[in-house]
Amino acid sequence: MNAHDIAQYAMQKLQETGAQQYACEAHTSAKREFNVDGGKFSLLRTTIDNRLDLTLIKDNRRGKTLINAFTHEAVDEAVRDCLASAEGSAPDPAWELVSGTQRNFTLGAPDGNMDHLFARTQEMLQSIQQEYPKVMVEQMIVAHQRAEGIYLNSLGARYESLEGLYEAQVMFSGHEGEKSSSFNFAAVVTDNLLKPFLDQGSMRQNLADAEKQINTIASEGKFVGTVVFTPDCAGDVLGELLGNFVGDGVILDGTSPWKDKLGEQVADPRITLSAAPRHPGIVCGERYVSDGYLSEDYDIIREGKLNQFMLSGYVANKTGKKRAPNSSDSLVMQPGDQTLKELLSGIERGLLVSRFSGGSPASNGDFSGIAKNSFLIEHGQITSAVSETMISGNLAEMVNHLRGISRETVRNGYSLLPWFAVDGITISGK
Amino acid sequence: MLTDIISKHKDAFAPGAATELRAQRNLSRRVVLRAGSITQNQRTDTKGIGARVYRDGVYGFASAADMSDDAVRAVLRSATDNAAFLARHAGRGTGELPAIAQGSRPADPDFADLPQKAYIDCLQALDSYIQQKYPNLDSRTLVSSADSMEKLLLTSDGYTSHTLAPRSYIYVMLTAKGKDGSPVEVFEPLGGSGTFDAHFADPAALYPAVDRLYEMVMQKAEGIYAEAGLKTVIMAGELAGMLAHEAVGHTVEADLVLGGSVAGLYLNKQVASPLVSMTDFAHTAFGHTAPLPVYVDDEGVVAEDALLIENGILTGYMHNRQSAQHFHAKPQGNARAWLFSDEPLIRMRNTAVHPGQHKLDDMIASVDDGYYLLHTGNGQADTTGEFMFGITMGYEIKNGKLGRAIRDTTISGVAFEMLKSVDMVSDTVSWASSGFCGKKQPMPVGLGGPELKCRVTIGGR
Repeated sequence: MNAHDIAQYAMQKLQETGAQQYACEAHTSAKREFNVDGGKFSLLRTTIDNRLDLTLIKDNRRGKTLINAFTHEAVDEAVRDCLASAEGSAPDPAWELVSGTQRNFTLGAPDGNMDHLFARTQEMLQSIQQEYPKVMVEQMIVAHQRAEGIYLNSLGARYESLEGLYEAQVMFSGHEGEKSSSFNFAAVVTDNLLKPFLDQGSMRQNLADAEKQINTIASEGKFVGTVVFTPDCAGDVLGELLGNFVGDGVILDGTSPWKDKLGEQVADPRITLSAAPRHPGIVCGERYVSDGYLSEDYDIIREGKLNQFMLSGYVANKTGKKRAPNSSDSLVMQPGDQTLKELLSGIERGLLVSRFSGGSPASNGDFSGIAKNSFLIEHGQITSAVSETMISGNLAEMVNHLRGISRETVRNGYSLLPWFAVDGITISGK
Repeated sequence: MLTDIISKHKDAFAPGAATELRAQRNLSRRVVLRAGSITQNQRTDTKGIGARVYRDGVYGFASAADMSDDAVRAVLRSATDNAAFLARHAGRGTGELPAIAQGSRPADPDFADLPQKAYIDCLQALDSYIQQKYPNLDSRTLVSSADSMEKLLLTSDGYTSHTLAPRSYIYVMLTAKGKDGSPVEVFEPLGGSGTFDAHFADPAALYPAVDRLYEMVMQKAEGIYAEAGLKTVIMAGELAGMLAHEAVGHTVEADLVLGGSVAGLYLNKQVASPLVSMTDFAHTAFGHTAPLPVYVDDEGVVAEDALLIENGILTGYMHNRQSAQHFHAKPQGNARAWLFSDEPLIRMRNTAVHPGQHKLDDMIASVDDGYYLLHTGNGQADTTGEFMFGITMGYEIKNGKLGRAIRDTTISGVAFEMLKSVDMVSDTVSWASSGFCGKKQPMPVGLGGPELKCRVTIGGR
């Protein structure tokens, strides 16, 4: 059965349960993927899969079941299980679906060109080997995925989608004799094959840096300095900040230090941070939320003020706050007015951090971890690559100690982020 | 259990090409109770057919969610075509894989799939206990999680098997207000291999563990920040296991060795104190069934232990059939796949440091100024052996005695240097098995060890 037929059947069965609200989302997907391991082609993989996601709310009790079999028997069993889950649950009026509209979305390149994709994959591997001879490719995965689906809910929402995207990710390290750098990686998602993968996102920058990170120094002592996060690392750090301060869990249980700060200044006024799946720099971003409404871009932090929590409809209802207009993590940060060179030039002593390997930040935002694939900044210049260097600070304090944001951004299809520099980070070596 | 729909299709295997055909089902249940509200209540059931074909040094793989006879044959054709395509364009000329033992393993026993209500009821009983007994907590989160992997495997030249591996956990997270007003958390998984009802038939049996955790969070609320720098620490078994898995285990996975791991330089060299030995156990460890036993892997290789470090010497790597061919080694059953749509990768199973002869009390008494590190929230390591673990519970040690609890911190080091500093190893092993290892695909793994006394860099505030 195809996604449309199975979704219609599932909706009929969900209705028969007597649920007041119900929804189903059915997708079929086909993926072809080239794998390289240890610098050599290793695997060509083709996967055909389905996904049927059922939700029902009966007497304020919610159940959810996910299966991948598109048969009447499997749907019948899944609906029974979904109903049993709901009936076993506690009533909670905060669960609700919302009325929606009817839309069709065609995104990206549904019909991938596999010959061209293989040529781009070969080209990428050869280019790395020729242009970055000290780099060893640990693993490279290049794929095209086509997905076709439909979302229906009992309040009239009907969203049909057909999309296709190309993804390339590579994991690598620099080597010279018995010395090696830490591993690093880069990834891009795109809807076309017009440009080599290597010319997109942070691919070339990270590969070039890996060659420079073979010889490192272990920084000595401990000092408070400036840290510049690359766009790749910025995404991770900002993700931790948002999860700790504005996400569902910490608002629901009231442990977020920002829970009462809506509309207040929580960060430097130069910081505007958005969840923007419809931004032109985001490839195949979310178009609807599974509660039933269409996704819209929004600012989480606007000019330093907390503008919107990242809340699901459920937590919004539980807490009396506004639900977020999308559920994506397509982060876009407003660029600054300095070039990266200008940003670096004013830094007396600090670190350029490309990857952060740290524990989950504490609830209050305290974080510590290793600065991986990183360089010392001394007197405005990038100098030695470092190893065994830890950084620690507090996420909330960090966004208030902003030194600057670069004008340049990295567009990798998942996010659109600049470099940003913060003061007051403790940097400690041996 | 899955009906055997694959055995009759061996005639469709490509002649002369090592082939694996797998029917697989993954079931999971997850309920989250946060501050008394059920925020997640979900069952997931995923099944399908996957096939992998080896030709001229490269693999073709294909999978489909459809479990019909037609789908099985189509998947085999597609995997064969993929292998032929890649061999034509990027074949390595490495010839056939070396022979492995052939045979059949009897099917594992089935288990009853409990209704979701059982998971919810257990959590609600536990939540009610915590809410009533400890009203001063800032927050509490309880998660019940159960997953199982069932695999029917048919191979051209190895073992056939029908395995079913369930595991079940309840995660307890408690949050209290610290003395400076900021929240502090502790976290502990309870449970292990087996079904949910086998572990959690009586929620009251969990109360002592919750009481201990409450005591910890209140100690941590009054806790201090660890002093940064290179320190003498005693790592609890959970951390020793994390070290064995993250900082050593990954570097000695043969695919990562071929990708540039530092362990490629260290085979048969001293990488740790002579007190340290380490094994990736297949199914039995130290006379008991390992936390997540593996008997046959997804290449049809009969699983056996992989000794990694013996008395401080790096003795070997973990392999799949192809890497074993490259290194002239014997595959030992480390090739595993997460879903039907995943190809087998080199994965750890139950990786542990061997116990020593010291008593924990004597180890603590031997430390003038250091830390006893109990729980870790997460860990990451590099192919250079550099590692980082988040520490979520620990105590200072002053003059040979345990002192105040410490707040969250991080430890780091380079595994093959740090392990040389180990000078005491306790005689008791503890295991953890609730987590997933991430390496292209997730995979349940067991990890464990005794207490280790060593020197690591600890991050302060």
